[in-house]
Amino acid sequence: MAVSVASHGHDAPHDDHGGHDDIIYNETRDMRLMGFVLFLVSDVVLFSSYIFAYIYLRNSIQPNWPPIVNGHQLPRLDTAFAAFNSVVLFGSGVTMHYALENWKHANKGRFNLFMFFTILLGLGFLGGQAYEYAHAQIGGWSGNIFGASFFTLTGMHGGHVAVGVGFLIALWIQAQRGVYTQSKFFGLTAGTLYWHFVDVIWVVLFFLFYLW
Amino acid sequence: MDLATIEKVVAFIGALIVFSFALVGLKGEWPKSGLDDNVTKVLLGLMAFGCVLVVLACFGVLPHGGGA
Amino acid sequence: MATVAPGVPTGPYHAVLDHIHPEPTSFIRKYIFSIDAKVIGIQYMITGAIFFVIAGMLAEIIRTQLLSPHGAIISAATYNSVYSMHGSAMVWFVVIPLLTGAFGNFVMPMQIGARDVAFPWLNLVAFWIFPVAGVILFSSFLIGAPDAGWTEYPPISLQGPPGTNLWCVAVFLIGISSTMTGINFLVTMYKMRAPGMTFTRMPLFVWAQFATTPLLFIATTALGAALAALFIERVFGVPFYDPKRGGSPVLWQHMFWFYSHPAVYIMIIPGFGIISEVLPTFARKPIFGYKMIAFSSVAISLLSFSVWAHHMFTSGMVPWLQLPFMIITMVIAIPTGVKIFSWMATLWGGSINWKTPALYAAGFLITFTYGGLTGFFLAAVPLDYHEHGTYFVVAHFHYVLYGGSIMSMFAGIYYWWPKMTGRMYNEKLGQLQFWVTFIAFNATFTPMHWLGLLGMPRRVATYDPQFQFWNQFATYSSYVMALATVLFFYILFDSFRNGKKAGPNPWGARTLEWMVSSPPPYYNFKKIPAVLAAPYDFGNPLPYLGLDAAPGATEATPTSVSHPVPTY
Repeated sequence: MAVSVASHGHDAPHDDHGGHDDIIYNETRDMRLMGFVLFLVSDVVLFSSYIFAYIYLRNSIQPNWPPIVNGHQLPRLDTAFAAFNSVVLFGSGVTMHYALENWKHANKGRFNLFMFFTILLGLGFLGGQAYEYAHAQIGGWSGNIFGASFFTLTGMHGGHVAVGVGFLIALWIQAQRGVYTQSKFFGLTAGTLYWHFVDVIWVVLFFLFYLW
Repeated sequence: MDLATIEKVVAFIGALIVFSFALVGLKGEWPKSGLDDNVTKVLLGLMAFGCVLVVLACFGVLPHGGGA
Repeated sequence: MATVAPGVPTGPYHAVLDHIHPEPTSFIRKYIFSIDAKVIGIQYMITGAIFFVIAGMLAEIIRTQLLSPHGAIISAATYNSVYSMHGSAMVWFVVIPLLTGAFGNFVMPMQIGARDVAFPWLNLVAFWIFPVAGVILFSSFLIGAPDAGWTEYPPISLQGPPGTNLWCVAVFLIGISSTMTGINFLVTMYKMRAPGMTFTRMPLFVWAQFATTPLLFIATTALGAALAALFIERVFGVPFYDPKRGGSPVLWQHMFWFYSHPAVYIMIIPGFGIISEVLPTFARKPIFGYKMIAFSSVAISLLSFSVWAHHMFTSGMVPWLQLPFMIITMVIAIPTGVKIFSWMATLWGGSINWKTPALYAAGFLITFTYGGLTGFFLAAVPLDYHEHGTYFVVAHFHYVLYGGSIMSMFAGIYYWWPKMTGRMYNEKLGQLQFWVTFIAFNATFTPMHWLGLLGMPRRVATYDPQFQFWNQFATYSSYVMALATVLFFYILFDSFRNGKKAGPNPWGARTLEWMVSSPPPYYNFKKIPAVLAAPYDFGNPLPYLGLDAAPGATEATPTSVSHPVPTY
């Protein structure tokens, strides 16, 4: 659609029921969605690069895992706690899904409830990561490749979660202010996709650092 | 019951709950065909797989030889 | 009679266009912080040209130092910084932004019949990162510029001057700009083509930009990861590349080249697109092999992700792994060769109008093919063992980068200059500028093949006296290249004072940008036309409907070619 977003007036959101404005909205929404998905693809590449580095170093370069430093082999990370923290994050993914579903079915009350739990669980995950960082005995960020790859990758992931929590709070505020209607809610879709993406990255990291 | 066991039990129960809800959500999304719906299906599926990994961790199946 | 859907405003063009695509009024919004892709394209062009001149002067410092075997123009340490910055600036701050940001922004939206790109504000942000990152890059000279080549291998780069940190930041930032542009362009080309413009009716320049976009947002992010790791290792001691703490210098090479090989295709595929536009226009003939040229761009783009380790043959990688990289590198020559033959066949039998763009396109065919051939030689592992790190490699990549990318950009600037400025340039001076450039370029870089084969290493400030004659020959020729560049800028400035006013279509071309005035109006098209065929059928009527239809007439939207709905 050869109409730029900026050039179309910012009228109050309303449903046009298939009319002219709706056609423009749908085309614009399709473009924004494609752009957002491509952004997520590039984010996957970012994580994949460091995941490659970790696998390459652990597989091809390091003879032992965990590495041996000063004659002692470093301990493995705390799998039990990470399993617990993972469920917290996956749970927030499910609540986010239901938040969006409720919005689509015009249940604002349920939407609010599920958004609240999503944000709460997201913050809980971040708290869990802080606990993990305080208790990990793997030589710190700059000690050796274990710390380098673990703290860099999970730190990047945690940063994405923190940004995601901010994103969700902003979306919730926008929803309260009536920016979204029952049929026009692209921001919520984008936020949900982002949140699921962050979730799935954690599946991979959980496997790579705790289960391999 | 030490802390690690409590964590594993809670994680196991939580994983079962989240797994079921993820599958219910996936079933609901399945007939939809938009780009965002398809991306959601993939991500919900991977999230369910994550729950499977958590269960394996709780029973010490992974990592090989049992973790901390 | 034309029908209009209810509730849609109609009326004389300007009232309607002011509603859907209003033009900015203040100077700042028109020329500084503009969201118009055409203005942004010109901003990229000006900024890129400035960095080209700076990086070119760095090159002349290199050549002057190499006039004698133990040159005393600059110290060896400074020499290392000079070539590192020359390469970094040319790759990331000249060729990539010009080919994607400048040509892509100015030409591509018009060629697909759109008024702008998908995300104009993102376009603005992506542009403004460019000059800021450039200033950060060059300010590294103040604190000790990076000195390990544009490739900055650890461990040398870990011990490098403080400016290396600024280099990491600058290249990371411009990588973000590139990623934004890639996403923006891909959505634009996928979603905003004029009605009737199926993929096989797109101009080949658009196909080229389309093939380049995955490289921009996938490969560039991989470089960002590598740069961030280098930065945190230098600043915080996080050991990705330090073998003593479990890291590996070879890891950098993998991460860096996984991006940088696709990057060299970012630096040439849009250039291929320019040549595909220039040749049919000046040969007055349809392009030969439209589909082959289009699909080969996509093939090259996809294959480019799988050849990165051909830069690492001498890094100690296991021999069985060298073989597939060698073979796929050679295989990439096939789609490239398909293009070369198609372009030659386009010229064959044509009534060629040898204006400056056509001269540059023909020159491109010669010098780029030459550079592609030496690349093919380097793909052979045993030959690479001998030539890696020598001037043979320097000759190869200057033949593809200058003889390929830069020559295609000269062709593109001369070609689209009338469209951008509404002025013709001085044709006689343009042709003179071509010949001086072409001859001086070959004189500068051909001897480097021999120097490399004889064993002169690259990236060293001094050399064995046996190499002196050809080094001097190359240096004096490079001074002539510099003069030709000065002449080029003179020609451009002169066109504003003395150039004839250009009409909409001085070359008689057939793509959509030539269907509007020169320079184009802010909104590009009064009405978005419908497209009936690819634009290269010289001799047939123009394949566009509705370019000059009355306001209020039915206009198709991309959502439905067969059931047009007015957009305004």
